[in-house]
Amino acid sequence: MRILAALALPLLLSAQHDVSAGASKNPAIQDPVAIAAGAKLYATSCGGCHGPDGIGGRGPNLVRQLQSHQLKDDELFAAIRYGVPGTDMPPTRLSDAETWQLTAYIRALTGPASDSKVPGDAAAGERLYWSAKAACADCHAILGKGSRMGPDLSNIGGSRPLTYIRQALTPPKNDPSRNFALMGKEGVTVTMKNGVVLTGIARNRSNYSLQLVDKQGDPHLINMADVKALTVKDHSIMPEDYGTRFTAGEMRDLLAYLATQTIRPSETGAK
Amino acid sequence: MRIILLALLTVTALAAQVRDEDILKGAGENWTTYAGNFEGWRYSPLTQINLQNVANMVPKWTYHVPESNGLRTSPIVYNGVLYITNSNSVHAMDARTGRLIWRYDDGLAKRKGVNRGAAIYGDAVYFTTTDNYLVALDRRNGALLFNKKFADAETGTISTSAPLIVKNKVLVGSAGGDTGMRGFIAALDPKTGNEIWRTWTVPGKGEPGSETWSDLHEWGGAATWLSGTYDPASNTLFWTTGNPWPDYAGKPREGIDLYSCSVIALDLETGKLKWYFQFTPHDLHDWDAQSWPVLLEIPWNGAMRKVVAHANRNGFFYILDRETGKFLKATKLIDNITWASGIDDNGKPVIIPGKEPTVEGNWVCPGVKGGTNWMGQSYNPGTGLLYILTQEECGMFTLSTQKPVPMKNFAGGAATEPGGPVLIRAVDPKTGKRVWEYPVGNYSRMWTGTVSTATGVLFSGDDDGHMIALDAKTGRHLWHYNVGDTLTASPIIYSVDGKEYVAIAAGTNVFSFGLFEPAQPMALPAITMEK
Repeated sequence: MRILAALALPLLLSAQHDVSAGASKNPAIQDPVAIAAGAKLYATSCGGCHGPDGIGGRGPNLVRQLQSHQLKDDELFAAIRYGVPGTDMPPTRLSDAETWQLTAYIRALTGPASDSKVPGDAAAGERLYWSAKAACADCHAILGKGSRMGPDLSNIGGSRPLTYIRQALTPPKNDPSRNFALMGKEGVTVTMKNGVVLTGIARNRSNYSLQLVDKQGDPHLINMADVKALTVKDHSIMPEDYGTRFTAGEMRDLLAYLATQTIRPSETGAK
Repeated sequence: MRIILLALLTVTALAAQVRDEDILKGAGENWTTYAGNFEGWRYSPLTQINLQNVANMVPKWTYHVPESNGLRTSPIVYNGVLYITNSNSVHAMDARTGRLIWRYDDGLAKRKGVNRGAAIYGDAVYFTTTDNYLVALDRRNGALLFNKKFADAETGTISTSAPLIVKNKVLVGSAGGDTGMRGFIAALDPKTGNEIWRTWTVPGKGEPGSETWSDLHEWGGAATWLSGTYDPASNTLFWTTGNPWPDYAGKPREGIDLYSCSVIALDLETGKLKWYFQFTPHDLHDWDAQSWPVLLEIPWNGAMRKVVAHANRNGFFYILDRETGKFLKATKLIDNITWASGIDDNGKPVIIPGKEPTVEGNWVCPGVKGGTNWMGQSYNPGTGLLYILTQEECGMFTLSTQKPVPMKNFAGGAATEPGGPVLIRAVDPKTGKRVWEYPVGNYSRMWTGTVSTATGVLFSGDDDGHMIALDAKTGRHLWHYNVGDTLTASPIIYSVDGKEYVAIAAGTNVFSFGLFEPAQPMALPAITMEK
């Protein structure tokens, strides 16, 4: 089911404006036809290592990266054409036009979801989001409605690529970046030296301080000198069964709804 | 005991909402509004740091603000959390450690410019984006509650100032007066961002005051780019206004150009103008009346009188009646004033002819940055003195022959900023006389104001990037520290867990200072990973 969504995606990704750094003047960037052509090239030239819609495999995940050093369009073009020396990334033999099509596709793939036409019924996705079946609001808020414990989703479409959001809902099992992505979202139990026990999410944890958000969404600013013991979960408390809990249609609807969540709806493609 | 107290504090303190009365009582443990209190004093009643021990003050933490340059933000502190702004972003940090708690960025804002700070009310932190959105964020996690546009950047208006929040109204100003725009102050609903009222600082066609303009008044400027002050007793807002546009060219705007370069008194509920006082009629030198109006009650002719004190960019220091706006007194804030020989009994400048900008250029004192600027002033009720950053800089003012086009070309001319002595001056509002002065540099690069405490310590900065502490009574040096950057914002004072801090956004970092304490070695707690 996830594969279906992944296949449907490339043809529909069409960036309506570019918010990325270092946008080039090449006409392929933001051109839906070029992006669609780039998607086909990606499937044959890149997907083998970087995975369907960039989720990673032998090569790095292109969508969810630890260090967000976003390449400029010209740098991306050069990396595709010449490869990355010293790594397994080989040069390609694509024409200039094809290389720009591929650049345009990767730019759209890694741009905010709100810039893309996302398949699915956003209104149905909205109903699902707020339903007991999905229970998203038990942890996440949108415009002040919902729990404060998990990350706020008011700008999830305006700040994250569609594939990133899908991966958060249905995490790839063997993504090496998965544990690192947990940083700032760890489930923790803190036993204070005075006997007080607090549970919640560690938004920020160092040797010397810990910021714990409890189930009510209230932050506790803890000095680690006051902590006796700490238990840290090695996995996210975000449920991992959405892939089976939802039908493919429901997943598309939910993604369509989340993609429209942006702090500037009137200035992005989101409706 | 300490541990229990700490744990309890972290649990309970963060739960309390910010109420009107919390802001009304002024600075203390918290610093909940731009100038510390509604009267604009930038004064702290805290007493831990004093004249004797300030010599032991050290940096307690530093927070680097990514992608910052010349930070203009004045921090807000509430219940152990410190909030600062950068262009289109807010950062919340643990006020004891500088550890980031959350950060909000609006990467889609259409303009990028300086920001002077946030405001806090209920459970929300408010700030404005450069392209004029009021943004409300949950103070606990930075989650967006709403954002709402209150002005269109396409009409020249941008937003730079910290909102002022009074009795269920978020008051926002307007900036952009050097390229043409129409200034206003707006009251917005803290729950929705919807407009409650808007008062334009340049009258519309046919409205009273419009006869003081000839042409271009739709773009006349009079921006309101710094937070105002508020008098609870009369329910009145006091706000200063910027220069008329084009800055240096008077011909397209013959007349006195109301209400530019003025202080205006507005009814909080309706925004209706109660009175105005114009410091520089028909300004030609970009002397915005920007520093906020300080509200005082001082002895005057044998009785106590409620007044507005204002240090103006045109080089003079003014005292006005707070109820009526009547001019009471003006004295020279700086020594070098060449455009006016004084202020007459009606508060009007006695102009020295031939000092307007010309095509060839005219050397005028003060220069374009003025005798003082937006670093403003602070007031200490213990010493009864105002502390004002002053500049003895002159400059060359030239007039352009080009036709001014709003938002396009220019300010109608230009002015040089060659540098000159910068001094902190202590002024007695009762007499307008200087009590002491302390030199802080010669380049006029800094934008740092002052803050003082109940123990008589005055904090500010100098032109060479030092935070400094002076004796508020005498101006004697007590302490300094090199922050390694040009200072472009003003310090504030707060306390957490009984410890007093002095914080400042210094160029690209936030520093928080406190009294020296030896480090306590600690054992790292046992950490168990759970599958």
